[in-house]
Parts: sequence; structure tokens; C-alpha cells
Amino acid sequence: MSDTLIFSPKPDRPAPAESVGLIGWLRGNLFKDVPNALMTILGAYIAFVVLSWVLNWAIFNAVWEAESRRECLDTVGRSGACWPGVGVWFENMIYGLYPKDKVWRINLGFAVLIAWMIPLWMPKVQSKVAIGLSAVLIYPFLASYFFLGGDKSILWTALISMSLTGFGWVWATALSETFVGKSIGEVIVDKAGARNADERRQRLIKRGAAFVIFLVAVLLVNEWALEEVRTRFWGGLFLTLVISGIGITFSLPAGILLALGRRSDMPVISMLCTAFIELFRSVPLITILFMFNTMLPLFMPQGVEVDQLLRAIVAVCLFAAAYMAEVIRGGLQAIPKGQFEAAASLGLGYWQTTTQIVLPQALKIMIPTIVGNFIGLFKDTTLVSIIGLFDLMNMARAVGEDTTWLGLFIEPFFAVTMIYFVFCFAMSSYSMRLERKLATGRDR
Amino acid sequence: MALSTEAATPKSSPSNPLSRMWRDARIRAIILQVLTLVGVIAFFGWLVMNTAYNLSQRNMSAGFGFLDVSAGFGIGFTLVEYQEGDSYLRVFYVGILNTLLVAVVAIFLATVLGLIVGLARLSDNWLIGKIARCYVELLRNTPLLLQIIAWYFGVFNLLPRPKQSIELAEGFVLNNRGFYLPAPVPEAGFNIVLITFAAAVIFAIGLYRWASVRLDKTGKAFPAISTGIAVIICAPLAVHLALGAPLGWDIPVLKGFNFTGGTSVPPSFCALIVALSAYTSCFIAEIVRAGIQSVSKGQLEAAGALNLPPNWTLRRVVMPQALRVIIPPLISQYLNVTKNSSLAIAIGFPDLVSVWMNTSLNQSGRAIPIVAMTMAFYCLVSLSVSLVMNYYNKRALLKER
Repeated sequence: MSDTLIFSPKPDRPAPAESVGLIGWLRGNLFKDVPNALMTILGAYIAFVVLSWVLNWAIFNAVWEAESRRECLDTVGRSGACWPGVGVWFENMIYGLYPKDKVWRINLGFAVLIAWMIPLWMPKVQSKVAIGLSAVLIYPFLASYFFLGGDKSILWTALISMSLTGFGWVWATALSETFVGKSIGEVIVDKAGARNADERRQRLIKRGAAFVIFLVAVLLVNEWALEEVRTRFWGGLFLTLVISGIGITFSLPAGILLALGRRSDMPVISMLCTAFIELFRSVPLITILFMFNTMLPLFMPQGVEVDQLLRAIVAVCLFAAAYMAEVIRGGLQAIPKGQFEAAASLGLGYWQTTTQIVLPQALKIMIPTIVGNFIGLFKDTTLVSIIGLFDLMNMARAVGEDTTWLGLFIEPFFAVTMIYFVFCFAMSSYSMRLERKLATGRDR
Repeated sequence: MALSTEAATPKSSPSNPLSRMWRDARIRAIILQVLTLVGVIAFFGWLVMNTAYNLSQRNMSAGFGFLDVSAGFGIGFTLVEYQEGDSYLRVFYVGILNTLLVAVVAIFLATVLGLIVGLARLSDNWLIGKIARCYVELLRNTPLLLQIIAWYFGVFNLLPRPKQSIELAEGFVLNNRGFYLPAPVPEAGFNIVLITFAAAVIFAIGLYRWASVRLDKTGKAFPAISTGIAVIICAPLAVHLALGAPLGWDIPVLKGFNFTGGTSVPPSFCALIVALSAYTSCFIAEIVRAGIQSVSKGQLEAAGALNLPPNWTLRRVVMPQALRVIIPPLISQYLNVTKNSSLAIAIGFPDLVSVWMNTSLNQSGRAIPIVAMTMAFYCLVSLSVSLVMNYYNKRALLKER
């Protein structure tokens, strides 16, 4: 017998140096062939020119300390930015003409919102849907009292107290679910020593606890008096966020209802919804704003004054709802017929089918478009400046009309552009992440 | 048995006839619709009553009688003859033409720019792709109104005075009064050139039809597109030269403090066009990219397996399928351009919303007819566009087995 031949592979030869590493990447992505290389050089040149111009203007040649625009112009002319003007006006660009000693109310209002939403990102919290809904439905009462202030009627006091109770509930739930692993209701029942009591008694205990907290909140709110700040002092980023926030919160449920109405079997309802959607979608937002600005006072009965901010908000909400309705309808149309039939064969009624089967799927596939719509709405709120509200953009424009900073337009616009960009880009990046996270079951 | 006794005896046997009616889906639908209709009519009736009362209180009227009245204000930029004494109806007409002009020019530029950026985003050159992505992200994540105002106050208003104008080319001048360009002046015989041009276009379309029919029947290709373009360019040019170039150009020249001659557009128009077309181009770029990426890889491989040449693959396999995805959102972007042109009011360009819904409304106080006419115009535009869209969608529908 001869020696057994054993196959022993030679080690792989290393890939050629020009196809791996930095050089390989360069060859593959930048200098594949001659036209490609020319494009790369041209692109690099354009990028260099633009970047160096912007950096020189915004940073290296910029003036950081000056008393007036004249001083800036005397120092660097137009080759550098004049940032002190933006610095002086920065507070106005964020808060508008809101009284300076009451600005803490705006800060606190937004801080509460953030605190309200934090549990949504806490991994162990179970009741995220309820928390999210409460932020949308209950939080606005507290916020509007923070921002607006003024006298409270009994109903108003109750609503604000409810909002405060809600905030307490959110954090109690978040903490108990994180550390004890039970909902806050169960914790209370345990503490009351009624763990083995029947369901009715347990519910009674939970509701009683909630009511006691509510009463405490009422007493607190009753003592609490904030001075009124009229809406004409509202402005800047604050106003932009208020208008777009209300528009976004209103447009989603209203859009869902309109979309369901348009697809309804009842001809009258479907026709009314279609007419509303098509009318509001076919005209520009600015005409709707103008219309509400001039016509809403005519529509109202004698003696009812409609605040200018309210007119703008009504217009923005209706406009956004019509657009959202079409997005949702697109989602509804994408649900295969089998889903409706399966729901019907299980004996589910219209509302059960809609809320349990159809809407969750439709909303999920439309998330990117819905967020895109939110971004569009956020950008469109700049239009309220045309009917004379001082939103973020109009505040930036006002800088150049200040006598000390006369003609200073580019710098504030640059700053405001950055603010808008950060908000919109964050929203779109988040929606893309959410889309990937929720894409379960589709990409197998 | 799992069947409960409850399910066996139907729950819905109420003695009350009203609640029995409520349980019948058809009757319930009718009741709901009647209630909705009554509610809506009552709401509108309430609005109309309030409005009538308010109008009478303020001595305003809602009629269209004011349309013949002289408007009495000037308009900075018009496409047709307009004087201060002209009627409100004329103002409406001027506004519509200005809006349409902005829309058409911006749509054309946005499409060209969007196509380039969209293809650049698909480029396998890393740097070009990144630059295109930055362009798209930066422009579409900032408000259009902000961009328009920034272009106006930051660029076109800061241009030099007429004496130090920027001359882009012979007769194309840019300064802080606007953009001046040569105006064509047709002379005797130019009509013949135009007629030749029309004939050449008709001939090219016929040639293309004939070539595609022949291709379907015999499989023989004919370069119809290049031939057609050559005919469209060369025939009128030849006639034009043969007739001794019967088209003069009125070139703007500096006289005193400003340019005269030629045609000109104001800085607000330039800012509006630049901002609108740049903003829309990034949406178009994304549409183009999505459309081309939607063509599945198998189609390209199949075309390769049939040994189709690359430009055939593009023209006969990729484009027909990509266009089906591209065209509907593209048309809706065109509609958006038309609607967004109304932002002209922020920089004082006299479009429909600016001269009609703002100036005319404030001057005449006829809020209701003016708002109604403006909305009717925009509704008409979008209605006609959606008719075209429906027709296209019906034609482009995938013919499946």
C-alpha cells in the first residue's frame, strides 16, 4: 500500500492590494473609470468650495462681539457673519414677546411634556399605549394653563387637576412597573391588604385612590394662580411648536375618521368626507389661512371674538386632517380583503374589525408617510407668519428690521434654518428607525 | 357541550320597536345618514345666518357686482396689458396668468434638476451620491417659505445696482432691479419658420408611430427618436437661414439708471423660481430614485439573458416600468408647485393670492366672492390634473393574466 495522499490546501493567496483596504475602496467607489474619476474630482471641488465658503463666512471671518450691524460691517464687511445680532434676538426667537419673568412657565410646560414621554422609552414599562394616549389627550390641559394662565372656571380647574393626576399616574405606573413589575393599581391593592378580595372591591379601591389624588390635585390647582399672558405675546419657536403640536395631535384622529368616512358604505357620509378632503387638499394652505382669517369673524355670532391664533390653528388643523385622511386611506387600501373577511367570519363588528384588525396594520405600514406628513405640517406652520403671527421665521425676519441690526437677514435665517433642520431631520431619522423596528413579519 | 345556552336564545328580541329598528343595519345606516345630513345642513345654515347678519351690520355685500369696478391699484409685473384703472376681473386674470407662469417655469426647472439629482443619488460614485444626499436632506428638511425669503432677502435683493450689473452672457443681465433678457422680435416671414417647425413635429410623431408599429410587426428597428429630433431641429433652422433669419432680438441696454429694451422679470420672481424649483427638485429626485429602484433585478437579468443592448434595456425594460411608479407622484408634485407658488405673497410677487386674495380683498372688502373665486381656481386646476391622472392610471394599469 502506498502512502495515503492527504489533501492539504495551500493557504489562500491574499487579495490583490488594489482591491482591498483603502485603495480598493477608492478604486471601487471613486475612481472606477475615467468619467467616474472626473466626476469625483468635480464633486470634490464643488464640495470644497461650498464648505470652505460657508465655514469662512459662519466661523472664521465671523464677528462675535459688536454693538450694532454697522460695527460688524466696518470690521469684516459682508465676508463674515455678524452673530451678535442673532445673540441679542435669540431669546425672542425662542419665546417671542412672552414676558421675560414668565418664561419659566413655557420651560416648565415643555419639561413636563418631556417627563411625560420619558416612560415611553423605559424598557420595562408595559402600559406604553396608555401613557402615549394620556400625553396626547390629557397633557394639553395642563400645558395650556401653563402657557395661557388667567382665571379658572370650575370645569377648567377640574380638567387641569385631571391632567395633573394623569401626570402622577404616568410616573407612578412607570416606577412601579420598572421596580416591582406590577401595575400601580395592583400595588395599591396590595398595600390596602385586599389582594384576595373580589374584582369589584379591588376596582373600587383603585378608583378611590385615583379620586383621592384627584381631590388633592384640585386643592393644589385651586390655590395656584398664574397671571394671564394674551396670545398676541406668543411667538418664536414656542408658537411654532404650539401650532404644529396641536395640528399633529388633531390631524391623526381626525384623519382616521375622515378616511373611514370616505370608505364608508353610507353614500351621504362618504360624499361629505370626500368633498371636505378634496376641497382642503386642492387649495394652498395660505388661501385657507386667509379664508379663516377674514371669514371666521363673519361666521361667528354677534359678540364672539375669535383670537387670531385660534383662527390660524383651526385652519392648520383642518388642512392637516384632510392630508392625513388621504395618507390613512392609502394604508387602508393596502390591507388585503382577506383580513376583512377573516374578521367577519370571526363575528367581529365594524368597529371591532376597524380598531383591532385593520387600523393597527394600516397605521404600521403608513408610519413613514405619516411622519413625513408631520414634518410637512411642521414646515408649513411658517405660513402663519403671512397672516401676521410672529412664529420662529417671522421673528428671524424681524431682526433685520430692528434699527440697530437693520438689514441683518442672512444670519438669523441661517440660525433658524438650522433649528428647522434639526427638528425635521430628527423626526425623519426616528421614523426610519421605527420603520425598521416595526418591519416584523414583512421581511422574512 | 361548549355551546352556552345564552347563544342559543337570541339576545336581540327587544319588544321596543325603536331598538329593533336600531338593530337592523340598513335602517341604522339610513338613520345615521339622515342625522348627519341634518346636522351638516343645520351647521351651514347657522353659519349663513351669522354671516348674513354680520355682513348687514358692516354694510358689506356678498355679490359679484364689484368685478366691473375699477381696481385702482398698479401691479408690478404683468404678462398682459394692465393699467391702474382696469377692472377687478382683469386683476383676477392677471393674477391667474402670473401664478401659471411661475408654476410652468418652476415645474420645468424642478424636473430637470430633480432628474439630475435623482440619478446622482443612484450613482455608484460614493462622493457624488453623498453630495446629492446632502442636497436633498438639507433642502427638504427646511421650510419652503424660509427658503423663498432667504433667496429674496439674502441673494436677489443684495445684487449690485444696474450700473455694476452682472452680465451672464450677451444680453442676459442680473441686477437688483431684476433679471433682463433679450426679447425675440419676429419679422416678416417668421410665420413660415413656425409652420415648418409645427410640420416637423407632426412628421416626427408620425415617424415614431410608424417605427414602433414596424418594430412590433417585423422586429426591425429604426432610429426614430434621433431622426425625429434631427428633423425638428434642422428643418426650421434651414428654412430660417434660407429666408435670411427673419427673427431679431431686442437686447436690453443700460440707459441712464436702468436697462431698457428686452424683457425683464423682477427679483421676487427670480427668488420664487429658484427656491421653488430647488425645493421641489429634491422631492422629484426621491421619486425618480424610488421609481428606478422599484424595477426588480430579475427584469434586468432577463434583459441581459436576451442579450438586449444596454440602451434597449433602459428604454424598453427599465423606463416603462419605472415611469409607471414615477408619474403619479410626479404629477402630484407638479400640483404642489402650483399651490406653493402662492407663497409669492411673502416677497411681494403679484400672483393670484397676492393681488386677488390680499390686495383686492382688502381694497374692496368683498371677502366671500373673492375667497370663493380663488378657491374655485385652485380646485379647477387640481380637478383637471386629477382627471388626467385617472386617465393615465387607467392606461398604465398592469395588464395581468
